[in-house]
Amino acid sequence: MRLENSPSSLIDYTQPLSFVFNNKTYKGFKGDTLASALIANDVLYYARSFKYGRKRGIIGAGVEEPNALVSLEIGGRYTPNMKATEVMLYDGLSAVSSSNPNSVDFRAIIKPFHRFMPAGFYYKTFIKQKVWSIVEDRLRSLSGFSKAPSETDEDVYDHIFQHSEVLVIGGGAAGMAASLEILTNSKSSRVILVDERENLGGELINEFTTDKNAALWYQETKDKLLEYKDEENPRLKILTSATAYAWYDHNYVEVLQTNATGQSMVYEGGQAARKVLHKIRTKEVILATGAHERPMLFEGNDLANIMLGQSVRRYLNEFNVVAGKEIILYGNNDSIYNTAIDLSENNIKSKVIDVRAPGQESETVTKAKGLGIDVFQGFAVIKAKGKSRVTGIEISQVENQAKPPHWKSKWRLTGDIKTLSCDLLATSGGFNPVVHLDCHCGGKTYFDEYSQAFLPQKERNNRQVCGAVNSIGFWKDAIVDAKNKAHLTLQTLGEDSQVKSEKLTNQSLNYFNVDQFFTPLEILNKPKVFIDLQNDVTTTDIALSIREGYRSIEHIKRYTAMGFGTDQGKTGNINGIAVAAEFLDSPMSEVGTTTFRPAYTGVDFGAMAGREVGDFFDPQRYTTIHESHVKSGAKFELVGQWYRPWYYPKDGEDMHQAVNRECLAVRNSLGMMDASTLGKIDIQGKDAREFLSRVYTNAWMKLAPGSCRYGLMCNEKGMIIDDGVSTCINDNHFIMTTTTGGAASVYSTLEMWLQTEWSHLDVHLSSVTDQYSTVAVVGPNARKLMSKLCQDVDFNSQNFKFMQWRPGTVCGVKARIMRISFSGELAYEINIEANYGRFIWDEVAREGMEWNITPYGTESMHVLRAEKGFIIVGQDTDGSMTPMDVNMNWILAKNKPFSYIGRRSFSISALNSKDRLQLVGLLTKDAKVVLPEGAHIINNKGISVGYVTSSYYSPALGRSIALAQLKGGLSKMSDTVLVKIVQEKQGLKEIPCEVSSSIFYDVNGDKVDGNE
Amino acid sequence: MFLITCPYCKESRDQNEFSPAGEAFIARPENPEALSDEEWADYVFYRTNIKGDHWEQWVHTSGCRKYFLVKRSTITHEVLEAATFQEINSENAS
Repeated sequence: MRLENSPSSLIDYTQPLSFVFNNKTYKGFKGDTLASALIANDVLYYARSFKYGRKRGIIGAGVEEPNALVSLEIGGRYTPNMKATEVMLYDGLSAVSSSNPNSVDFRAIIKPFHRFMPAGFYYKTFIKQKVWSIVEDRLRSLSGFSKAPSETDEDVYDHIFQHSEVLVIGGGAAGMAASLEILTNSKSSRVILVDERENLGGELINEFTTDKNAALWYQETKDKLLEYKDEENPRLKILTSATAYAWYDHNYVEVLQTNATGQSMVYEGGQAARKVLHKIRTKEVILATGAHERPMLFEGNDLANIMLGQSVRRYLNEFNVVAGKEIILYGNNDSIYNTAIDLSENNIKSKVIDVRAPGQESETVTKAKGLGIDVFQGFAVIKAKGKSRVTGIEISQVENQAKPPHWKSKWRLTGDIKTLSCDLLATSGGFNPVVHLDCHCGGKTYFDEYSQAFLPQKERNNRQVCGAVNSIGFWKDAIVDAKNKAHLTLQTLGEDSQVKSEKLTNQSLNYFNVDQFFTPLEILNKPKVFIDLQNDVTTTDIALSIREGYRSIEHIKRYTAMGFGTDQGKTGNINGIAVAAEFLDSPMSEVGTTTFRPAYTGVDFGAMAGREVGDFFDPQRYTTIHESHVKSGAKFELVGQWYRPWYYPKDGEDMHQAVNRECLAVRNSLGMMDASTLGKIDIQGKDAREFLSRVYTNAWMKLAPGSCRYGLMCNEKGMIIDDGVSTCINDNHFIMTTTTGGAASVYSTLEMWLQTEWSHLDVHLSSVTDQYSTVAVVGPNARKLMSKLCQDVDFNSQNFKFMQWRPGTVCGVKARIMRISFSGELAYEINIEANYGRFIWDEVAREGMEWNITPYGTESMHVLRAEKGFIIVGQDTDGSMTPMDVNMNWILAKNKPFSYIGRRSFSISALNSKDRLQLVGLLTKDAKVVLPEGAHIINNKGISVGYVTSSYYSPALGRSIALAQLKGGLSKMSDTVLVKIVQEKQGLKEIPCEVSSSIFYDVNGDKVDGNE
Repeated sequence: MFLITCPYCKESRDQNEFSPAGEAFIARPENPEALSDEEWADYVFYRTNIKGDHWEQWVHTSGCRKYFLVKRSTITHEVLEAATFQEINSENAS
């Protein structure tokens, strides 16, 4: 229910908002979270639990909430698994529970039969019956998480790079104080202040009701900060509704900020991001991340309306809402008294149950008693009563027979059990410093006996911790601590700053105290004492895992699934560690914590992608000829980032028909292809020849200017990494071509050899892939067309031989014409300056009509080269093939003085085994069957002995052809092998094939000179 | 997400601009044919994989494209030194 306005309220009552939750319409106000607005409307249930299907209510008020998961909006705006406590309300918001608490759940029905489902219950029960896969599907659909989105996200997300001298994480009292101290004591340091809430102040706002000084300090500090923010060239950036979720090496922090409206707004000028991912690089970090409250443990502690004490306090003060009328506060530290006092200020009566024995009392306790609040000191809650919501509690007197510093508690229940009624129970089991971020890149925690908490390691380069994360919970102390740490930060930055070591009071110890872990075995051994509410992990699950032999907290975590949920165990894990310590009978410090990894909170995939979606996902590369391909109706294929013509269908042809037509045109008359995407590296210098003979396996010293040569490149392991033709322009100048996909890595590898090993060689490399366009003119009539296009070159086959090149003028454009062939036909590649590409292409197409010139794409190119047995590196080889494996011993130079890259490896015994996979041809016995690429060749025991790497229907041969890697294949010519394939409807089938040479067509190379 | 100061560009830049290129000071043997299979395998395959300060090669891929040397702690990921081959060679010589 909603209370009257209070001085600490952040609600704007002038702005009522309407929203829908689980198909019902409600009213809230600007400043509400979805959670606070629902509490104001007395909504009690938010979820069904993961394992038992129990109805669950809200327990927290922020990032720690384990239960109230919702999916927001629908369609392209759908966002799963948001915490209702973190969603700021906006008008028209619609949300549903991730798991509907109001539907019937079979897990809740079978509960009476399995009152006690141990850790691993479902798995252990159903795996033996071999029905786990069926059961798993059902359980997953019932479990407490939203369905994955199915539509494209309509919202947009931004990435912003930020730089600062100091990054302050956490905008509570400590963070605000630290930021201001840096700004006022430095003239140059830039500060970024980040906080996950919509407003600065953190838990300090809770103090306003009872402490005017807190409100005053807050207003003053905020005003001063805003002055810095509004300066010209401001040194301060404040990011609110922004969660620092990851801290990586070298002080790189990622922060996810949510737009106030929760969605991206569409303006005339465009769409503003729904979320912004800030990538912050900073010199110094001040960690002021505060602490999360931990719940108390007792039977039935998961009933609805059992909440965290500090959350009840925050709902009351910040949002003016309270979830019940008959309130009991239960805990082991002073924070519950503060909540009781605040309730009392609002004329709400409450009772306090404190496990600490009566004795020395703090001011807070005395004040609470003075206000007439019922206080039960030395009492513990044994059990919460009620079916789905709490209706009352059973309490008993307790005493701790242990003496500090030996922490091991010896709690004993004494006296009779009393029953109290209530409709809201708020518990506080102390505070966990939020150490997560500090541990993301190497920071360690230590267990501090004094404050009974895991604290961030004391000393770390370029980082300070202050406030509650440093176990300083009292607000005035937190401010002093923050100022002291700000001065240490300034000193590290080399600024002139004096350390003002102001003294702290000892009031913080009333929050972080020696009675932190209240874990009497009489309570822990009861069923339904929940540790992790999201994953339904109980104290008995932890006991079971220890009985079954797990000792490490990491193993206990994985066995019980404690802390696996979307809340990552922010409230539960520390209790789990305490309970494990109790059962293991070892101190907390030895049990330790589980590992904290990024991300601290969930990050939307959309935010990770930012604007790099759709057309911006990857660069798209087009040749200068692209528009002509589009005009010709080409279908495109992505090769690396290049869009290459795949085939050019005509008159409703399918790919098979188009490729047959294209291939036959090349074999019988004339074809043309855009070969511009091949990698081209310009190599110059007087040692260029020497360089080529070091990186290629064959000889280069005698290649005359005007000639070209095919080369095969290996790595030091002796494996093929690339191939291509290099052209000798003159003795000091070569142009190397590489495979389209390998261009970048080959270039980088060559540079590495030159820069690291052979810096004395006079060789310079330039990537010129984009500088030249290449049009290949291919087919028996190629010479006739070339003679027509280019008058200043003699194309006579005696004067311009295969593997030679000539400079010439093609249609008025200066060109290098290479006579090289990837199809076995007479072929010329016209290389021109890139911008002439389309002009030359169109001219070639027009002049070639006489011979019915046919443009062909990558698919026909593959068929044509496979017919000739030419390999494609990366398709027929896979990084584990040597030149010998592909039957190319002829390309290995014997007498080169320099031991070229990879050569030494060729003599290693493993590379000479007869049993290696070797490249062969395969001819199916049934000429019509085209084998699927990747199909395995099997031996008579059904075991794979190789696989198909390339497979096509060859129109020139009128049958199918395939290349394959086969164990010892080169010595198995004419053998029959079986290839196992899956056929639609018919299932698995074994296809008999004959092993053949990998050259299928024009074995003697007669066609390379074409028609005269 | 390291910050590396390229010894050629003299600027501290994000790791995104660089690519790692393996352990440093693995010299290619002068005469590979004279080595035993074990010695050759040691050069091709085996690396020290140390815990501590580690010299490695990096290349400023999106910058000057120069290869250079980086001394990095494999424990803390702190970059302790970045230098050109020439700088390190002359240091070793003197």
